Formats: sequence, structure tokens, C-alpha cells
Amino acid sequence: MTLSAASRSEIQGYKARYPEPRSAVLPSLWVVQHELGYLPVPAMREIAGILGLEPSEVQAVATFYSMFLDKPAGEHSVVVCRNVSCALRGADELAAHVERTLGCPSGGTTSDGQFTWESTVECLGACGGAPAIQVDHRFHENVTPEVMDAILGRSRSQPAPSVGGESEAASTKQRGEPKTAPRAKRTSRPKRAHIDPGDL
Amino acid sequence: MANKTTTPSSSEGLAEAEKVTVTIDGREVAVPRGSLVVDAASSLGIHIPIYCAHPKLDPVAVCRMCLVRVGKMPRLQPACATVVSDGMVVTTQSPEVAKVREGMLEFLLLNHPLDCPVCDRGGECDLQDFAVRYGPQTSRFPITQKSHAAKAVVLSDKIELDQERCILCWRCTRYYDEITGEKELVLVRRGIDTVIDSFNGEPLTSDFQGNLPEVCPVGALTHRQYRFQARPWDLQRTKGICPECSYGCNINIDARDFEIKRFASRDNPQVEDMWLCDRGRYSVEKWSHGSRVRHPLIRAGGEVREVGVDEAVAEAARQLGEVLRLHGGGAIGVIGSPMLTNEELWLLQRLARETLDCHNCDHQLDELGNVSADEHSLGIAEIEDCETVVVLGAEPEANTPVLTLRLHKAQLRRGVEVRRVEHDASPASLGIKGKRLVGVIADEVHRAYAADMADALASGNTLVKRLTVTRGVNGRGAKDMGMLPTQGPGYSRVTGGKDGRQILHAASAGAIKALLLVGAETVLRGAGILAEKALAKVDVIIAIEPRAGIVANAASVVIPGHTYFEKRGSVTNVEGRVQRVSPALPPATAAPQETRVLAMLAAALGATGWGTGDPFEVNTMLSQAIDAYRGAGNGGRALWKRQGEPR
Repeated sequence: MTLSAASRSEIQGYKARYPEPRSAVLPSLWVVQHELGYLPVPAMREIAGILGLEPSEVQAVATFYSMFLDKPAGEHSVVVCRNVSCALRGADELAAHVERTLGCPSGGTTSDGQFTWESTVECLGACGGAPAIQVDHRFHENVTPEVMDAILGRSRSQPAPSVGGESEAASTKQRGEPKTAPRAKRTSRPKRAHIDPGDL
Repeated sequence: MANKTTTPSSSEGLAEAEKVTVTIDGREVAVPRGSLVVDAASSLGIHIPIYCAHPKLDPVAVCRMCLVRVGKMPRLQPACATVVSDGMVVTTQSPEVAKVREGMLEFLLLNHPLDCPVCDRGGECDLQDFAVRYGPQTSRFPITQKSHAAKAVVLSDKIELDQERCILCWRCTRYYDEITGEKELVLVRRGIDTVIDSFNGEPLTSDFQGNLPEVCPVGALTHRQYRFQARPWDLQRTKGICPECSYGCNINIDARDFEIKRFASRDNPQVEDMWLCDRGRYSVEKWSHGSRVRHPLIRAGGEVREVGVDEAVAEAARQLGEVLRLHGGGAIGVIGSPMLTNEELWLLQRLARETLDCHNCDHQLDELGNVSADEHSLGIAEIEDCETVVVLGAEPEANTPVLTLRLHKAQLRRGVEVRRVEHDASPASLGIKGKRLVGVIADEVHRAYAADMADALASGNTLVKRLTVTRGVNGRGAKDMGMLPTQGPGYSRVTGGKDGRQILHAASAGAIKALLLVGAETVLRGAGILAEKALAKVDVIIAIEPRAGIVANAASVVIPGHTYFEKRGSVTNVEGRVQRVSPALPPATAAPQETRVLAMLAAALGATGWGTGDPFEVNTMLSQAIDAYRGAGNGGRALWKRQGEPR
């Protein structure tokens, strides 16, 4: 078994909550991603087993949403927006800089397992501060290659902050979920913490 | 379409009264309430192009190919998912609709590889056909900039997927959802990256994969067995009945250069409902290969002589007549096969009983118990009308796989309770009470248990009907025709004789002096050493046999037979449906068909009134002799009077 007893019982809880077990697929996938950091194949099979579905149904949902990861990600996530506003303000150069600095293409993970970065994301909604990036789900605006280097350098020496853990707990509480919602590791709901490069 | 949830077959009578009138392209038509626009149009002969819609699947309206103008609705509506209403006005032929169709096709062809010349589907592809009929003549997108996906993805040992050719109509995923319930294929990822795939790319394990290429409207899912075998326009198509089991699935036999290349489904909603099992569908290869008997042979004194049919028949009659004169009919054993047609089986038992005074007749070697007409009162489609169906043991579905899909449909669409129990389950333990119609399905070796079960469940208001799964394509017909040791045609009472196994035992003990074997190679091969001993012991063995083997090697007279796909005649399926078969391949021998040879043999033995042995003539004769077959015709069920019912 890939999953911990706690995760299994949490998935059981979701299953009991909905009239259709299929409805519990999404929250179950979150449980697994919180525990393991990504969605390994045996874990998807295990979810299907608990919910009484075919594994293929779980995989169909998991692959539909781009925030579910199918392979282990680096300690820190870096997202570079290249949508219109950011592109006009030099995001392409920034992305090229990140690729050079980290030594892996967009979507890849550095060899030391520190960073997973991508530049094929939809607009981050921070056009006012273009070019914008997200590092561990925290926003940084008006980013230049120099600022980027500083952010990456600072992150490298630290473990990823549990960003969004609080907001996740708060929002799930609203929906009447158990208070013991797991702390988000990397891919929970982003908390919009705007940081001005001047703060650095 | 009659099998859609929107128009359940039981309410057809009701729907008859409830018709609504719609106007399509200026023409009025009255269709049952609840019909879909696409079906109403097709009843007028108006074609609306569809990809995602499928007559056996629920509508999803994802392909957007069938958009039409409906009344004053602000946007075009999908004809495949729009239910007709009274007074509805639909326009399918207008510049507006034509433009949308052109646009949809341009989108579908955007990344389509256009590898039609090497695509198995080329020539019978909806994408090709609609592109010609409704599509733009040219593309505005350069062919060099197509985005590519994986080709020739091996989904299993049977199916290959070309992800570039896929137009994402969801038919295959819905087939797995709705028809088999196995959900082996799903849509993976989204947007431009969406592909059809199995979980983690693991091989498909379904027993019904062969239906996938048939539901696929394009060349994305293809049969590995049929890959690069033929172009559709090279194929010669013959209507036939699947040879693999007794279920009687209607198939199209597609042959090229006198070799069968594939079996395709031929929708009969009463039987297989257009779904075939892989065992049947992929049993193609054995019919075009194997060693055949091509000339009549007489074997005497260690010498084998090739002779003409007339001489072979005369010699067979002489040898049989001699045994009859010296030892009587009791010293003769007659074994047929469930692969024979009704006409052959009826003539064979008649030859045995009337001409050879022989009651040792059988078509197989198992202990059959008390065979009766009662055991197939339940029709396949009738399963959906039952409240509860009891399936005894695992064998019924193992021996007739497509039955599984009918049971699934009955459960899913009609809420039928399906109880799978051990073959010897006690009726009381099932707790079935107060039902209107209960079905009992069992394999033929468990017919005694099924009879007990049916008797126990039947009561004042509960009608119990039975379906007995016979073995061999015409296992049911062989019984109806009286190719049985204890019953004659129509389960009539006759003087009892030895059954198949007893014949072989008596033959090896020397009590049976002559064997008349028609197509019995496959039957005898199953008996192993017993058959070999019997064949070695008996001197007079008259064999009508298509294939070389233990029978043809031992027989004193061999007359070449015809394989199942070289014959004309009829076969009867598990529910008593009498269905016609006609030759899909030219015969491998110049000898006449078995019915003719049997008539010649009877005449040579001095019998009269046998006619020419033409299969149609024999069919007329047997229909006159067996009441139930008179009413069945071609494609109908032979319905027997239940015991105690007035005639």
C-alpha cells in the first residue's frame, strides 16, 4: 500500500460524503498529492480500489487537471508567466534566463531536486506587475534576471514554505470538512502574497 | 434506435399512439414522442452527419457535426441530442448549416494525418466520407504544421490505436461505460493534448475489444488481426452466423481472394445487438487454413483409391446395406456434429431411423439428460423484460460470451435483477417471490438443475422461462432436429438408442459394426483414445468429412464434406432462432453438399421420396415435419408449445 492509514481513512470519509463515489475522486487526489507530493500510479489504483471505481476513471480526472503532478517535483516550484503583458515586459528573456540558470527546460526539475519550473502557464493575473512569477505559490512582480537570481538563491537554502496551508484549512472548514485537513505541501491554493522586489 | 432508453421496447405500443409531427427541410413526418431529430430526419431519408452519436449509445453531443437549425432557437442545435417536439421545424440544408459543417470538418482535419492510403479504415471511414460530402475542398492550414501524436499504439494483442487519427468522439469510452461496463479506455489529459488511453497504458483485457474498431468512426482503433489485410472495396461480403458458439450472432463475413479476412457485426437487436465477442470475431483464421479432403476415397485392403462421388455413394450404400442385412440396424452408429445445418441433421437422423433402422444417433458425446423443448422458452431479448434472471453457474456466459452484454444491458437499462448463483443453488435460498417473469439461464450440462429451479420458482403469478446454453453453432438445432439417442424431430418419442459415447464404447467392443460419421471429426477428436479405439476396431466407416484427420484416415469410404462457410442451410441458436447461412467461400471440393450426398445415399439404399437433397427443398420438408419450424421461417424463433398448453 502506497498510502498512509490516515490518507486512506480520509478518502473513506470523502466517499461516504457523496451519493456518487466518483464525486470523491478530486478530494482524494488532493489527499494523495498532499501526502506524496505527486500522484504515483499505485496510489491512483489505491484510490480506485477504495472508491470502487476503475483506475482508469481516476487517471482520467487526475490528468485533466494540470495542478496534479504525475511525477515527483522539486522542492521549490517556479512559474514564469509569459502571457501578453509579461511577454511585452521581457518574460521571454526571463524564462531563457531561468532555463540557463537552472539548467533544465520548462517543465523540468533540476538535477539536485531543488527546483521544478515551467513557463507554459496561463496568465497569473498579475499584469500590473509584469513580468510576474510565482515561487512556491508566492507572487513576485516586476522581476528582472537579477531579482530572479536573488529569489532563486534565497529559496535554494530553505525548505519550501507551507504556503496556503492556512487558507486551505480555512476554506475547507467552510465546506464542513474535518479540521485535520492536511497541510498543503506544494500545490495547494496559492496565497496571493505580493512581494515587491524592493523588499529584497 | 428502438433500444435507446428514450424509447424502451416495452412501451413501443404506447409510443405508437403518441406521435409528434415535425417538419424537416419542409417535409412533415410523424415520429414517436421522445425521438431524436437525427432519427426523425433519417426516417425521411435526410442524412445528418454524426460522429459521436451512435444508435446503441446515449447522446453526448461532443463532436458538433450534426448541428442543425431548430425553429427559432438562437443557435444551431445538435440533432443527435435534441428531442423532437410537436410542430418543431428543422432545417438541415441551408448555407448556414453547410458552413458550420465545413468549419467542423476543417477543425477535425486540422491535425488529422491524412494517411488514408495506408489506413485500414480508408474506404469505410466517416471522416473521409463526410469530408467529401460536406467538407471544404481545401485546407487553409499547411500540412507541414500539423501537431503529431503517437501512431500504432498497441492497446492489446487485438487492438491498435492511432492517436493522430482520433477525433475524440468518445464512442469507445462510452462503449466501455455503457455496453460492457469495464471502463478500460478513458480520455487522458485535456485540450489539444487529449488522447484516448487505458490506465497507465496497460493492455486491455476485455473479452469484447473487437467492437472498438467498429464503433470508431475513423481509423483510430483498428484490429491487429485485420491490419493491412484488405481494402474494403476488395472484400466480398456474405451474411452469416458466427461459428464459434450457439448464441447465433449475426455477422458479415468479409472475404478477399477466397480467404475470410474478418467478421463484422450485422446488427440484429434480437440477438447480439451488434456486439460480438473476441472469441467469435477473431476466430477467422482457422476457416481459411487446414488440410482438406478434396476427393471421394475408398479404402480397401490397405489401399486408398480416389473415386467419383457416385461410386463412393454406391460403395457406402453397399457396405451399410451389408451390415444392416447381417447384423441389423442396432449394429450401426450414426454421429453428426453441432456444426451441421438443420437440413443435414434432419436428413441424417431420418436416414438413420427410416432407412438404416438404426436408433443410435447423436451429435455430441456428453451426457445430456432429459432434453425438452421447454428449456428454451426464454428469448435473448426477452431477458430485458424479466424482473429477475437467475444464471446458474459460470458456464452460460463462458460458452456464449455475448450473453454477458445482454445481461449488463438488462441490468443497466431496464433494472433487471441478475442473480449469478452456483449451478446447484437451492431455489429457496434465492428468496425470489412475487415476480411476474423470471428467467433461468443454465448451461446444457446443468439442464436438470435448471428444470428443478424453474419448477420451484414457478407459481400462480410467476411465469418462469428458461434459456439453455447449447454448445456448437447448431447445438440447439441438432436437438430440435432429433439428432439425439432418445428423441426424434421436435422432441418426439422414438425408440431409444445408444448415445454418442455409448456408440464409441460399443464400437470398440465390437458390438457396433458400422459407423456413419458426418462432420464428426471435431466431435470424435474430443474423445481421444476412445475414438481412436473405436475407429481402429470398426471396418465399415462411412465418413462425410471436410477436413483431414482421424476420421478421414480411418474411414472405409470418405466423401468430402463442406465447412460451415461453404454451405447453404439454416442453423438454430440458443433461443430457437432459425437463421440462414449461405456460402462465404467457394467449396474446396467438387462433391455436392452434404444434404445431396445424404439423399443420394438414401436412394442407393432403396429409400424413396427423398427428393434431390437441395437444401431449400429439405428445409421445406423439415418445416412440414416439425411444427415449430414452420412458423419460424428465416430469422424467427421456433416456438414450442409448452407442456400442458392447448395445441
